[in-house]
Amino acid sequence: MQHRNLLVIVAVAGCLTAVLAFSSSPGGQTPAHPFAAPGHGSPAHKAAPSAAQHSSSPAALTRIEILPASVSMIGPRYSQRLLVEGTFADGHQEELTSRATIAVSDLKVAQVNKDSFVFPQGDGRATITATMQGHRATVPLIVDRYTNAPDWSFRNDVLPVMTKVGCNSGPCHGAAAGKNGFKLSLRGYDATTDYYTLTHQALARRTDRIEPAKSLILLKPTATVAHGGGRRFDVGSREYLVMSGWIAQGMPAPMESDAKVTEIQVLPREASLQAGAQQQLIVTAVYSDGHTADVTRWAKYDSGDEGVATVDNNGHVTMRGYGEAPVTVWYQSHVTFSRLRIPFPYKLEDAVFKRAARNNFIDGYVLKHLEALHIPPSPQATDAEFMRRAYLDAAGILPKPSEVEKFLKDTSPDKRRRLIDDLMQRPEFVDYWAYKWSDMLLVSSNHLANDEMWSYYNWIRDSVASNKPWNQFASQIVTATGKTLENGAANYWLIHRDPLDTSENMAQAFMGINISCAHCHNHPLAKWTQKDYYGMANLFARVRLKTFAPTTLRAAVGPIFNDVTVYSAPTGEFMDDRLMIPLPPKPLDAVELSSETPGDTRQYFAKWLTSPENPFFARNIVNRVWRNFMGRGLIEPVDDLRDTNPATNDELLNALVKDFVAHNFDVDYLIRTIMQSATYQTSSRPLKENVDDDKYGSHFVIKRLPAEVLLDAYSQVTQVPEKFAEYPVGMRGLQLPDTAVKSYFLTAFGRPIRQQTRESERTSVPTITQALHVINGETLNNKLRSPGNSVDMLLRLGFSDEQILDYLYLASFTRHPTGSERAALLEGLASAEKEKTAGIDDSRRAAWIDMSWALLTGKEFMFNY
Amino acid sequence: MFRLDADKRVHFCDGVTRRDFLHAGSLGFLGLSMPQFLRLKAMAAPKPEKDVNCIQLMLVGGPSQLDTWDMKPDAPASIRGPFKPIKTNVSGIEISEIFPRMAKHADKFALVRSVYHTAAAVHDTGCQMMQTGRLFQGGLESPNYGSVLRFEKGPRGDMPPNVLLPHMIGQLGGNLPHGDTGGFLGKGYDPFVLNADPADPNFKVPDMLPPDYISAVRVDRRRSWRQEVDKSVQYFEATNPDTKLMDATFNQAYTLMTSAKAREAFELSQETDEVRKRYGLNRFGQGCLLARRLVERGVRFVTLNMFETVFNEITWDIHGSAPFSPISCYSDLVGPMFDNGYSSLLEDLSRIGLLDTTLVLATGEFGRTPRINPAGGRDHWPQCWTVVLAGGGIQGGQVVGASDAIGGAPKDRPVTPAHLAATVYKSLGIPIDTELKTPQGRIVRLVDHGFDPIDELFA
Repeated sequence: MQHRNLLVIVAVAGCLTAVLAFSSSPGGQTPAHPFAAPGHGSPAHKAAPSAAQHSSSPAALTRIEILPASVSMIGPRYSQRLLVEGTFADGHQEELTSRATIAVSDLKVAQVNKDSFVFPQGDGRATITATMQGHRATVPLIVDRYTNAPDWSFRNDVLPVMTKVGCNSGPCHGAAAGKNGFKLSLRGYDATTDYYTLTHQALARRTDRIEPAKSLILLKPTATVAHGGGRRFDVGSREYLVMSGWIAQGMPAPMESDAKVTEIQVLPREASLQAGAQQQLIVTAVYSDGHTADVTRWAKYDSGDEGVATVDNNGHVTMRGYGEAPVTVWYQSHVTFSRLRIPFPYKLEDAVFKRAARNNFIDGYVLKHLEALHIPPSPQATDAEFMRRAYLDAAGILPKPSEVEKFLKDTSPDKRRRLIDDLMQRPEFVDYWAYKWSDMLLVSSNHLANDEMWSYYNWIRDSVASNKPWNQFASQIVTATGKTLENGAANYWLIHRDPLDTSENMAQAFMGINISCAHCHNHPLAKWTQKDYYGMANLFARVRLKTFAPTTLRAAVGPIFNDVTVYSAPTGEFMDDRLMIPLPPKPLDAVELSSETPGDTRQYFAKWLTSPENPFFARNIVNRVWRNFMGRGLIEPVDDLRDTNPATNDELLNALVKDFVAHNFDVDYLIRTIMQSATYQTSSRPLKENVDDDKYGSHFVIKRLPAEVLLDAYSQVTQVPEKFAEYPVGMRGLQLPDTAVKSYFLTAFGRPIRQQTRESERTSVPTITQALHVINGETLNNKLRSPGNSVDMLLRLGFSDEQILDYLYLASFTRHPTGSERAALLEGLASAEKEKTAGIDDSRRAAWIDMSWALLTGKEFMFNY
Repeated sequence: MFRLDADKRVHFCDGVTRRDFLHAGSLGFLGLSMPQFLRLKAMAAPKPEKDVNCIQLMLVGGPSQLDTWDMKPDAPASIRGPFKPIKTNVSGIEISEIFPRMAKHADKFALVRSVYHTAAAVHDTGCQMMQTGRLFQGGLESPNYGSVLRFEKGPRGDMPPNVLLPHMIGQLGGNLPHGDTGGFLGKGYDPFVLNADPADPNFKVPDMLPPDYISAVRVDRRRSWRQEVDKSVQYFEATNPDTKLMDATFNQAYTLMTSAKAREAFELSQETDEVRKRYGLNRFGQGCLLARRLVERGVRFVTLNMFETVFNEITWDIHGSAPFSPISCYSDLVGPMFDNGYSSLLEDLSRIGLLDTTLVLATGEFGRTPRINPAGGRDHWPQCWTVVLAGGGIQGGQVVGASDAIGGAPKDRPVTPAHLAATVYKSLGIPIDTELKTPQGRIVRLVDHGFDPIDELFA
């Protein structure tokens, strides 16, 4: 107690001079009465997305091009859609297909119809030419095997039709139980079984090779006979042609040797368009034998932001609002996306971007993207704002008034850089990140006995303190063996005892991907198959736990093991409960291990997981660290990395990942790089031209303090430490190894329960419960009235009201009050101090307690800006 | 040690200071109503003559249709399960023997036995659809019924319009949203979450009143200084709606504190022991009682989550093996809990004349597999289940829709969650073609085209 008081006095004395010096400085704002009615700020100016400002000065067409850049067609049956894209002087693009004139040089090779589809006419080469307003573009064309075309392929023609029209979708026959006795694999992932289902099941009535038109798979979807799913396509349609053609050809079966889709490409890959623009996409599938095909008609489309762009079932996009939307394209379990944007309608000078601060490579990528979207960056944050932000984001604490004074007075140009370096040396920095990784790794007394929990936590904390490279950190957990009290990392295996759970959590925590969908069927949104899922689980089948200590049973939790040894059995396999055979151990899309491989299969997984070639491992941690500082992941949510969920700035994420890997998975280096960027140091004050941006980094994203940080900040500013049950007084919230420690405050403010590795377990949504708790509850009120707290210290030191206010502002907001704030608040205080209230002896103390409450519950305190 | 203001007690129950506080509070703030800035069009619909409330009982876990309200006594034992049907007070309607009290109120409720959904068979999707009418797709999170009601009609008096008891639904395994928030209408339309167990002997709304040592004058000056301090950061609101929401939550908290009616609504101790026992001395029973008190005093919508999770807790989720529940819990625990809470709620609402203007919707998130699994339980089955509706204009004593011989699929009058949503909104007097606008400017109909209310349910 004495010791603590001493520190306070030193801290107060340290800033005394500054407090006095500031007292005469003029206020820049009009003084306002503290009891004045709460003012309503003028509503933020929002850009009107419908304003068609582009049309005011139509820019000239500078060039046109034909998409795709070359056309190659096999056989007589396939066509190729063409697009003509124009680029204009102001940089925007437009689809001009219907307005351009398109011609083929040799009509014996191919012809173009009025909808700009090219149809093959015979083997040979030719040139396609588009002309418009004196501009001209050409692409080469080749047609092959016109007369000896391959048969319709079940895998590459029939299944895509059935997928597109929805036969095998989740609500229809793709449901786990099928529909009305007809069950297909979800979105056609299992060609062999589907082939059998269509040709052999149900007395083979589904397909009739003698009279194809009598096949149920044609009668039903054309609604020729009653169909619960209604009419899906018409007789004579392209869909009908494919299905009936395949049946008529004798229903060739899918073969292992079939060409398989290896990649899909979408065009245009990206484009800057105008509001209201119509843009068709074209999708090309690339096959394992090297041929390509136009699959635009069979692909599925989805817009990532329907406020910016909407897309119909045929890949036709309508641009609706300012901003950028990834339009994802799905075909045969392959995914890609086109980035379409409407730049904001602001006239910005080039100098805006030339002048913008650039501290490292991050800023180059952010500014490049902002420039494409016409969003100007806000200016850099003030020193005070930067300091508060850096302390909260990197170490979960507020700077002390004496530190604030020192930093604000420092005039050296590298002071921000030094502040970051110094901050990263502090024990609170270690506390903060140990807490963060403990969230991710589910350290909790709900899963672990007390000693085990501490062992796990201390191992994480030591790893952070020694800045263990992230690949080693992960590797040591993945391959942990030994006694849980000696090797803290081994406790991971106490929490995850089932191979399926382990496998899902490994993917979630270390790669940010959710594979649980693939438990029951191939992942509908990512490339993971059910086979990948069970193969991966089998990597963790040999882990064994051994203990001689008694097991404790905890209510609503289950058995809690004590003093366990984790080891790997030399053999052992996990049964795929669907096939009733074990699948060879295989890390997701890696090469499988032979089931006979003896020893700890986790070693193989660890090597694959932490390899620089693993696209998810580094991305996951980079994205999580980025979110910590920027308030939003480059990919959101951070635990859902997949191709169908693209990053807001892919180039930047790739560059960060490359840099991180090149620096040996050094997390501290990554943190420093992010904090040193001008992007991180941008003001949170929006400009009217960037107020609508919440994801491209034009201004700092305001975020509420996390529950633990807020509680610690209350303890810090009031100088009254928290007491958690069974933990020593003074232990900060962020130093707890556990989130099961009872605390109404922390629960109300959204601390995670550490049940599942999900960022969404932690919330920061303001609620009435929180408001009631800070207004009436014990946590803050007890600190404010606790004898010997900071208010008492300031009063005992004989400070004037003005000095006390200055001190509290520095402690709470890392800044001095403005002149008008000082005037208004001091006036209110003066009258409050005179007020006689029932039950109050010392009205000055009561007034200062209330003023502290106002500072500590205000938005400037509750938010990081 | 100097104790300055701690030991002088200012008793709130003493008239003077209480008036002092109430008076100060009333000076401070004017109520809950928020500008309905998202409203797309003024509603041309005629005002319903009655203002209808709703109590939604979320039977978390998913009750088995075959063991509750859609018995199949003629099916083989592996399907019909361990329970027998009993007669109700409406001839021709039979329900499970696990609900003896409910059987006496069949004239008040209607059963829809042909509800199904086609989304993934996980708890989360069903919760979404049963509380919003729509699966969350394409980044669109629809608001729950209570949030829409609040958006359309605002608060009634000092009462929070939309209250959720006792806790938000927690982990159900799928990690998806549960449809219990304001969704795209904004977090400002989220329900007020009680966060306390009404069955706790010391139950009270946490922090509803200031401690004795903080007088009303002090509450008021704190509040006014806080507003003064925050003037410098008004720009926060332009980019972070949570900052605005925080002020709204403070204002709502002050309104709750200063309203005697609001405080009293939460005081279960005003009910006699006999009444409390009749509802059942458990979380669900006391939750039903509290829901009744809230609706009586002006709350428009109450969600009561029967359970918070399905893991390591006895619930409707009868997979038969740990960490889930065995089928026997329906007769031992879960069934009686529902029977007592639900029956008492209908009895009381009917007695005090509120049943006509209060829709009571009881539903799980899906049904359960017709065939009993090897663990002796039943697994998830969204293909068919039963929803129970009463009050709010619903004609009791009838069954709508029917399932097939094994309760595995709708045989007659299939009903989707969207049809139910349309039915709920019809009861609440909100036109189903009302158009709402998302923050991105997308226009969304309250209920999608093609899904009409189940008209035959209405009297």
